[in-house]
This record gives sequence, structure tokens and C-alpha cells, in this order.
Amino acid sequence: MDLADFLPAYLTEVEELLGIANTQLLALETAAKQRSASPRTVRELFRALHTIKGLSAMVDVEPIVSIAHWMEAALRQADHAGGRVPEDSIEPLMQGLRAIEQRVHQLAAGKPVAGASKGLLDRLEQLDATERGPQGSPAAPARLELEPTLAAKLSTSDQEQLLAGVAAGKRALRLDYVPSADRAAQGLTINTVRERVGQIAEIVKVIPVAGATNGGGNLTFALLLLTREDDAALLEAVGGPPATLRMVASSAPAGPASLPPPTSAESLLNEEEAAAAEPRRSGVLRVEVSRLDEALERLAALVVTRSKLARAVATLTAAGAPTRELVQVLQENARQLRDLRASILHLRMVRVGEVLERLPLLVRGLRRTMGKQVRLEMDVGDAELDKSVADRLQPTLVHLVRNAVDHGLERPDERRAAGKPEEGVLRLACHARSNGRLELTVSDDGQGVDVATVAARAGVPVPATPEELLELMCRPGLSTRASADTTSGRGMGMDIVKRIIVEQLGGELRLETAPGKGTTFSLCVPLTITIVDAFVFECAALRYAVPVSGVEEIIEVDTSRLVHPPGRAGGMAMLERRGQAVPLLSLERLLRRDGGREGPGPKAFVVRQRGMPLAIAVDRLLGQQEIVLRPLEDPLVRVPGVAGATDLGDGQPTLVLDLPALSAARGGGSRLESAAAKGGAA
Amino acid sequence: MPEVLVVDDSKVMRDMVVACLRPYPGLSFTHASSGLEAIERLSLKPYDLIVLDLNMPDIGGIEVVEFVRGQDTLRHLPIVIVTTRGDEASRARALQAGADRFMTKPFTPDAILGEVKGLLERVHG
Repeated sequence: MDLADFLPAYLTEVEELLGIANTQLLALETAAKQRSASPRTVRELFRALHTIKGLSAMVDVEPIVSIAHWMEAALRQADHAGGRVPEDSIEPLMQGLRAIEQRVHQLAAGKPVAGASKGLLDRLEQLDATERGPQGSPAAPARLELEPTLAAKLSTSDQEQLLAGVAAGKRALRLDYVPSADRAAQGLTINTVRERVGQIAEIVKVIPVAGATNGGGNLTFALLLLTREDDAALLEAVGGPPATLRMVASSAPAGPASLPPPTSAESLLNEEEAAAAEPRRSGVLRVEVSRLDEALERLAALVVTRSKLARAVATLTAAGAPTRELVQVLQENARQLRDLRASILHLRMVRVGEVLERLPLLVRGLRRTMGKQVRLEMDVGDAELDKSVADRLQPTLVHLVRNAVDHGLERPDERRAAGKPEEGVLRLACHARSNGRLELTVSDDGQGVDVATVAARAGVPVPATPEELLELMCRPGLSTRASADTTSGRGMGMDIVKRIIVEQLGGELRLETAPGKGTTFSLCVPLTITIVDAFVFECAALRYAVPVSGVEEIIEVDTSRLVHPPGRAGGMAMLERRGQAVPLLSLERLLRRDGGREGPGPKAFVVRQRGMPLAIAVDRLLGQQEIVLRPLEDPLVRVPGVAGATDLGDGQPTLVLDLPALSAARGGGSRLESAAAKGGAA
Repeated sequence: MPEVLVVDDSKVMRDMVVACLRPYPGLSFTHASSGLEAIERLSLKPYDLIVLDLNMPDIGGIEVVEFVRGQDTLRHLPIVIVTTRGDEASRARALQAGADRFMTKPFTPDAILGEVKGLLERVHG
């Protein structure tokens, strides 16, 4: 048995631990700046590094073991100092974390792992990561009422946390949960209890208590917690009786807490002092993405087979065979497939927060290298998206954030001169829409895009609209920077951002900018891109598909009521839709095909292009079905406006169109506003 | 069929321990990702041996050992500590609390298999 076989699992878990460590180290930096104690943060960071060190030792990656070891040592000192860290200790710890990350990435790429740099190890070894805070704690305004055996299990910081909670108006309670085999069979265990209670209360400590219980058990878990929730909800979270609930803190006129001191010294080496942190992965099963991809592939094959079956049944029906029962089975099968698809896609979803979790660290680095003051505000909620979309999205967000700090936000002196606060604000927000798409915005309150400079660089007239400006900024190779530096002007440009968002993901990219006020990039992407509901239709004797999520409405085209704006002969017509003039394009013309038809087809899909409605006429709607979207990987056959291909069950590849992108690529987009203006006037 | 409770907050580490012990015929394994979960499982069902990490969230390995040794029914349950903390103080505290074996990471598959085999044979003959 070779422990090196565990390398893929090691890499997955260490990535997760590094994410935790990054988050905790940033929190520690904030605490250090405020000169406040943060013992839990220190311990969480220590624990993440400790696990990384242990795992790395098992798979024999010595450089990571060494770096993690010295970081641990520094954090142990910080823990001895009550969780206080001086601000100048943060940077070496950051460097240590970066060094571990680099080596993990080398390992993942199959490259030799670089040794730990002696300079870094020396810096970490010499680190005096202790900051002595104010000695002694202020008199507590309340008193804890706990049995001595339980009180002895509480550390000073646990006691302080309970008393501070009471001072802030919360109730300090002891909630007793009694485990049993029956409850475990129903999925109620200490892990699920902690998850459920953790949603409505702050768990300070969980203490196991041995002894006979009501119901014949021999163990009780005493959960000490702070909450504003009512008793009924808390008792329900632990499965009801024989659970009990009692107050453990009451207001006292004055004086310190009358608790016995903890039985042992406080340090990370003392196991009784382990923080009552929420379990990181309780109730969670980690699955390699490749296995999920495999499940999705199997599902995709089923979807195609079902299409073939439907086609065969249709042929039988047309030949007069009795197929009623067969059709019913087919419908049932379609429902089951849909449910299975929903389940598998749900498994592949990751929280958007996870996609964005490295950005605070990126901003911190940019702040330091560029000497700019930046406050990052994130409002990401709990939206989720498919792992494959998330993986594509991440580099685009990194680029937009770099771009905002580098080009958008001004230096503190420039902001002062412009009458702004020295600290610039970079805001990331996202929310899921009801149509299966995710809207993300990256906005800054900086100087806005210098339109004239962009135009001069591109050697074109100054663009008149934000859309034209964005087109210009997304030209390959365009940079307003004279030379590449380490921040932006290298690596991925706006052209790649657009390619990923618009062409690969079938999403939208928009720009709003105002001189002196700032810039906002809006990204709108589908939550999933693999198996989608699609409309299948015909145009110029060929069959196509278009994702349902991108279609706002399907309308009948009444050719007698079309308006042809002057100067648009043979091009665009306008139709009236609920009092609004909407440009109408012929898909046949967009595809440069000749189906022998005079004028637009009788049906039209209404889509949104840059926020404006646009109708695209087709010949015939054939139906709606699930399709497996296969991206066109070969750059030679990638065409703007074609999202990919699919097999509808007859073995013939069918193109899946991205109608807004197709219209934009064929020049329809640039004519919309003027046409809408003229049509509106007509 | 002897049943081993493997306790570590790292899933990869639990899997590694199980992989190391697989050659022992007839062993079955239960995972616990925290000290509290380990204590709960021990209260619901008998086990023949625990492999226990020291540094975990909620409560640590030493506290689990002390809790186990405080129960009449679990007093003689074999406990193997596996930890990254190779310092003498940690070893002394673990053994003093009642752990039977103390192993530091990295350990070889043969080493942990040898320890577990010895303890199980001591109990079951």
C-alpha cells in the first residue's frame, strides 16, 4: 500500500484547508490592526496548518511540513498571548501561506516541489507573534451558574464569550441533547444537532456528560450557547424530550464571574482548550469532480437515448401502430429523467461564496503592491452555480478585480484632490435570477474609464455608447498601459473575459462608467451549461436549438403590422410588442442562408441584447426538450453566436444558437438603438 | 469481526489509516470526524479499538481518552493515538490519560498495522 496513492485526495483537502487558513489569516489581520484579541481565529488557523502539516508528512512533502511547522510555532505563541498578534507578524505568515500554496500547485501540476526557502523559514522562526493585550478582564456584569464539573471544562475565553453575550442581550443557556440509536437511525446525531442549533444560536462549547439519562441512555451532550431564539425552536433542534434547557447566566449587580478557574493552563497544547468551532465538514461528503462529470456523462447518454426512443415511437404512431401505452411510459420516463437531472446538477452546485473566497486576499496583495487604499465589500448571499461554470468564471473575476484596482481606483492623493475619501471602494455583488441565470457586478468608485485614451490606443473615434466602448476594450491586445506590469496589462485581457462570459458560457457582459464616479462591469451567466431545456426550431430547412433560459417570449410575427424604418431596406423591421417598438431580425439573414422566403418567418424568439428586447424570426417551432450541450472545443469551428452542438436523438449534430451573440456578431447589435429610435418614432 | 473507530477531522487521514489497516483480516471500520462524534458513537455501540487524532475541533483527543477511561464499560478499550505532535510532553500526557499507543505522523503502514495487530491480539487472544 503506497500512501502516495492518496495524492489527489490530499490535494483536494489541502486546497480546502488553505481556503480556511486564508480566511482566518485575513480575519487575524483585521484583529491585529484593531489590536484586539482573536483566540478562536488563531486556533482555527493553527488547526488548518496543523492538519496540512500532518497530511503533508504522510505524503512526504517535506517543504510544506517545514513551513507549516514554523507557522504553527508562531501561532502557538500568539495563543499563549490570548490570541493577540502584532500587525507586523501578519506579512510573514501570509508569505508562509503563499509558499505552501505554491508548493501545493507544483505538486498538483506534477512538477518537482521547491524546497522551503531558508529566508522564509528564518523569518517565521524569528517571528514573535505575540502582542500582549491589556492585562486582566473587566468586571463582568453577570454571573454564570454551572455545576463545578462543567465549569471546570470552560476556558477563560469561553466564560468571557458567554458573559459578553449576556451583556449584549442574549440568553446564555445549557441545552442538553441525549443521543440514542433510534435518533441516529433518523439522522439525528451530535453533528446534525450542532448544525441545526448553530443556525439559531452561537454554540460556545459542547461538553459530554456521562451518566444515566431518561430513556435508558448513558450519555448527555451539554451545549452551552448564546441565543435570542425561543425555547421551543431550540428544543426542536435537538429532537425534543428528553432534551432539557436551562439558563446558565443571570444578571448580577457587579463583581467578577464566580467560576472556578480552568483546571489547566491555556494553550493550543491543552486539549481541553480546543475551541468549540462549528464542525467544518459534518454531514458533508466530498466527491471528486471527475466522478460527478462521469455521472453527468451517463445522464447525457440517457437523455440522447430517450430522444431516440421518442423519435422511434413517433414513427410507429405515424405508421398507425397502437402506441398509447408506450407514449405514457415515455412521458413517465421523461419526468424521471428530469428529476434525475435536477438531482445530479444539484450535486454539482458550489456556493458562489467559494468562487469568490480568494478575492479578499487578492485585493490585499494589490493594496500593498500598488500603494492604494481599497475597501472590498462583498454581497454574495447564498447563490449557487455549477462547478464547471464556477471554474470558468473565477479567472474572469480575478481579472476584473485586478483591473478595477489597477486602472479604476485612484491613488490616495489623487482621490483627496478629487474630493473623495482616500479609501476607494470595490464592491462585488451577485444574486441568482429566477430564469436560471446569475448576475454578478464588479464596481468601483474610481475615476471611470478614460474613453478618449482607449479610443486613441485603438486608433478609432471616441465611442458613443457604453456598448461600443466595451467592444473596444475587448479587442485582443488592447491595453492603455504603456508596458506590462505585475498587476494588469498581462495575462488575461478583457478580450478573454468577454470570450469566456459571452462565447463559452453564453452569458452577457455589460459596462457602465462615469468620469470621476467609477465603473461597473455586470456579468450575467447561466447557472449550468451542460444539460439544458431548449426550444428546437427550423429555419431555412435546417434544424437548430436555443436554450429556453435565454428566451423571454415566443411571438407570432404579423407581417402586415411590421414597420420598416427608412434606410433599413432589406434589413431590420420593427414590430409592436405591448406598446413597445422591438427590432425584428431574420435568422435566415443572420445565418446568411437562403431558404427562398420573402420577409421574416412567422415565429420569433424575443431575447435580450444588452438589456434591450430583440426579436429574431424563424420558420417553425418544432418543440421543447432537454438537450446535452456540447461546446465546440475546436477553435477552427468556434463561431460567435453558436453556443455548441447537440444530438437530438437522430445522430445528426444540431447547432445550439446563442441568439443575442449571433445578432451582435453579425452587426445587428450596433444598429439596434438607432433602429429602435427610428421605429419608435415611426 | 473486530470493529475499529477511526477518529480524525481530516477525511484523507482517516482513509489513509483505513488503507494501512486493510491487510488485517476481518476488520471493519467506522469513521468519526470529531471527538464529540467519537464519544457519541462509543455510547451507542461497542468497538474493539480506537485510532484517535489529538488535534481536532470541538474537543481534542486527550479529552476523548479521559472520557473513555472514565467509563466502566470502556476502561479497557485499546486506544492508539496518531498525531502530528511528536513532542515528549504530548506523548506523556496522552499515555498518562490512558492511551495505549502513541504514534506520530508520518507513520508507515507496517508500523500502525503492527501496533493495532498487537493490541487486538492482546484483547482477543
